Amino acid sequence: MKKWKLLIVTILVTSLILSACATATETMEAEQPGEPEAVAPEPEEEEMPAEPVTITLWAQATVTESGPPPNDWIAYDIIHDELGIDLEYTIIPPAGDGETKLNAAAAANDLPDLFQITSTTNGRDNLYTYYELGLITPVDDMFAMMPVRTENHYNNQLLLDLVSFDGSVYGLPEPPIIPKREGFVIRQDWLDALDLEAPTTPEELLDVAVAFTTQDPDGNGQDDTYGIGAFIEGPGLGRRFNYVFGAYGVLDLWNFIDADNFALNVRDPQYYEAMQTMIDLVDAGVIDPDWPTLSKDEFRARWKQGRFGIMWEDFAALTNKSNYAPFDENFPEGSWTPVPALTGPEGEAYYGLYEGNFQIFAVSQRAADEGKIEAIARLLEWIATDGYYLLGFGEEGANFNLDENGFLTLDGIDPEQAYNAPERQPFTQLRNQLVFYNTLAEISARYPNYTTEVSGKLMTPIDTFLSFFQAQDWVEGFAKKLIQPPETGADFERFYNEGLLQFVLGQKELTPETWAEYLAGLDNLGAKEYEEAATAVLKDAGMLP
Amino acid sequence: MLRMRTRGGLAFQIGIAAFLLVALLIVLIPFWRVIVTAFVPLDVYTHEGVPFFLSPAKWSIEAFKQLMTHSQFPRALWNSIVITIMGVAISMTLTIPLAYGLSTRDLPGRKLIMGLILFTYLFSPGLIPVYLLITGMKLTNNYLAIILPPAVSVYNTLVMTSFFEELPVELKEAARLDGANELQVLWHVIIPLSKPILLTIGLFYAVYFWNQFFTPILYLNKNELLPLPVLLRNILISSSLNEYVEYNAFSTSAVESLKAAGVLITMIPMLLVYPWIQRYFTKGTLVGGVKE
Repeated sequence: MKKWKLLIVTILVTSLILSACATATETMEAEQPGEPEAVAPEPEEEEMPAEPVTITLWAQATVTESGPPPNDWIAYDIIHDELGIDLEYTIIPPAGDGETKLNAAAAANDLPDLFQITSTTNGRDNLYTYYELGLITPVDDMFAMMPVRTENHYNNQLLLDLVSFDGSVYGLPEPPIIPKREGFVIRQDWLDALDLEAPTTPEELLDVAVAFTTQDPDGNGQDDTYGIGAFIEGPGLGRRFNYVFGAYGVLDLWNFIDADNFALNVRDPQYYEAMQTMIDLVDAGVIDPDWPTLSKDEFRARWKQGRFGIMWEDFAALTNKSNYAPFDENFPEGSWTPVPALTGPEGEAYYGLYEGNFQIFAVSQRAADEGKIEAIARLLEWIATDGYYLLGFGEEGANFNLDENGFLTLDGIDPEQAYNAPERQPFTQLRNQLVFYNTLAEISARYPNYTTEVSGKLMTPIDTFLSFFQAQDWVEGFAKKLIQPPETGADFERFYNEGLLQFVLGQKELTPETWAEYLAGLDNLGAKEYEEAATAVLKDAGMLP
Repeated sequence: MLRMRTRGGLAFQIGIAAFLLVALLIVLIPFWRVIVTAFVPLDVYTHEGVPFFLSPAKWSIEAFKQLMTHSQFPRALWNSIVITIMGVAISMTLTIPLAYGLSTRDLPGRKLIMGLILFTYLFSPGLIPVYLLITGMKLTNNYLAIILPPAVSVYNTLVMTSFFEELPVELKEAARLDGANELQVLWHVIIPLSKPILLTIGLFYAVYFWNQFFTPILYLNKNELLPLPVLLRNILISSSLNEYVEYNAFSTSAVESLKAAGVLITMIPMLLVYPWIQRYFTKGTLVGGVKE
């Protein structure tokens, strides 16, 4: 009996080992997009290679949890038949894990042919590293090979400059995912309940926030509301207080507003005033007191719970059907409304800093050495032309239809097969990486108007929020990507961030003397050298006079 | 005097009990918090966050349902099971003979071999050399890339060696006198006497391979090969980046609940296995702690 058991266990383990070892081989065989047809495909106008070219592509997923397209994805067949390319598409994880994977492949000179730069900080720095190591190839010649894509995707000279080294372009800068998408919003129902107007200055902001905190704006008879909600995201106190710092013209770390006085914003006397306003808000107890330690998820849970009535938020995070539904259920009468920038004492009213977080794709030197440049350009041009709808939304007639204005519609489409159904997400994983370039039709398809389930409100994410946010006065901050961290890196960052927080939380009194001490502390950590280096880099790039 | 000693002893016992109770709470409260978070329904979460106590009538398995009904869940679960079983099988197959060999005191070159093994314990080759080795061996997209590099744990080998060393030499000599070769001694004498250490080390390996997360990301480019921890992480990343997930990927459970449910799901198999081998586990982990 024991021998039988042993035999069974041995067979089971052996079969597992063999099956696991075979998995990859079988998969790779299966993934070849179809055997060549018995009948040769129609000859194309372009000269096709006799043998398909294999292109390896590493890119992040748009919807990470939905997984990759299946091996029998129709796009693989089309790319094979029409472009003469066997596409091997691998989804790489975002942020640190993806960066490590790429760096390990780079160290082994094993980078894929076409890949998305993944970084926890600044993708351009990684691109530069790969350039210095000779691992990537210039892509200047590719632009002429893909005219439509170049016109739609690579039309921003500033972005092209950012990915150029020694006069050659080394990266393909994909358009930022919906620019200027965050903004300043306020609970309109609370304003109405207290007969207040939206604030237009920092002083009015304080007044409204005090009223929201003390006058029971939700009318539930409990002292359970705050004026403002936020969490720290970005340098210093983060961009969730943009409406305060924008009123003083001191958004973010650097002064990109006044090119003649380019320096750290904390040098600007107005920064001191902005800090004083922040202290007034904190001392008045009108900010949800957990803001220094809240995570993004917790912050978002709290506005859905009606904890506060003034915030800075992403338009889709606020209005997207799944995000808005809990708020709608909790507060059927509630509504958020976008607010213009506050105007400061000197008349400044900047909305936010637009850094243009674009994505960069690069072509490995190995791919160039293997003569794959033309095939890669052919693939990218196809994605921007014939393959645009297939990779962005699926198959027309099956997953979407187009109306007379060229906008996507789901009329007559099986809901389970609709381009926005969860089941269809694996088929459009490349859409945010290589397909979309932010046309109105595209954005409308992604963020359509809808009626909320509980209150029956008509939500118009683009018209009401995104268009409003984008129309505000943003400071162009693309140049930030050129600036390398100071030599004292982490120490500088910690001192900068913690110092500001200490002032605001009252752990250190804000006076001209203590502020001067704080600035001197930054200087001791190399602030002046940091500013000089940043100025030099921006001057070299032609971004400063 | 006796009475005082009794009172003092009682106070001491109460103090110890109080200390242990506090220590227990320090462990239990976060764990309890994770459990409640995993089961809190969305409407409660959106109204009041995660309460400390949740009425049993309100417990919801929605987060588990969302994770476990994911189209890739069965595949990822199977992948994790395969990696774990293969990993334990290969690791034990390599570790047992190595530990047995090292436990033989008259093994020629024993010190040198031990020194070489310890060298790998003290000095790690680092990520890039291992990556080069794996890709050089064409093991990308193969589970062996996940299993072979950590297949022999020096720590586990040393623990097992200590156990083998404590077994009576006379048993081995008796077997040899009966004509058994070394493999037969190992198979028929040593292994049957070593259940505690085999199960303990097996559990160590199983936990290690079950939790494999980083190396699959590094070496498995085919998404259908990825194990459960990677899938769960992908789901959680996506739900916390909700502003980019336009298509209502998650609409019936809070992000925090999904995270907590993910933690519990990955714990369950090990929680199920542990009670079965607990009696051996304690014995096994104490090996080498006492020298006679």
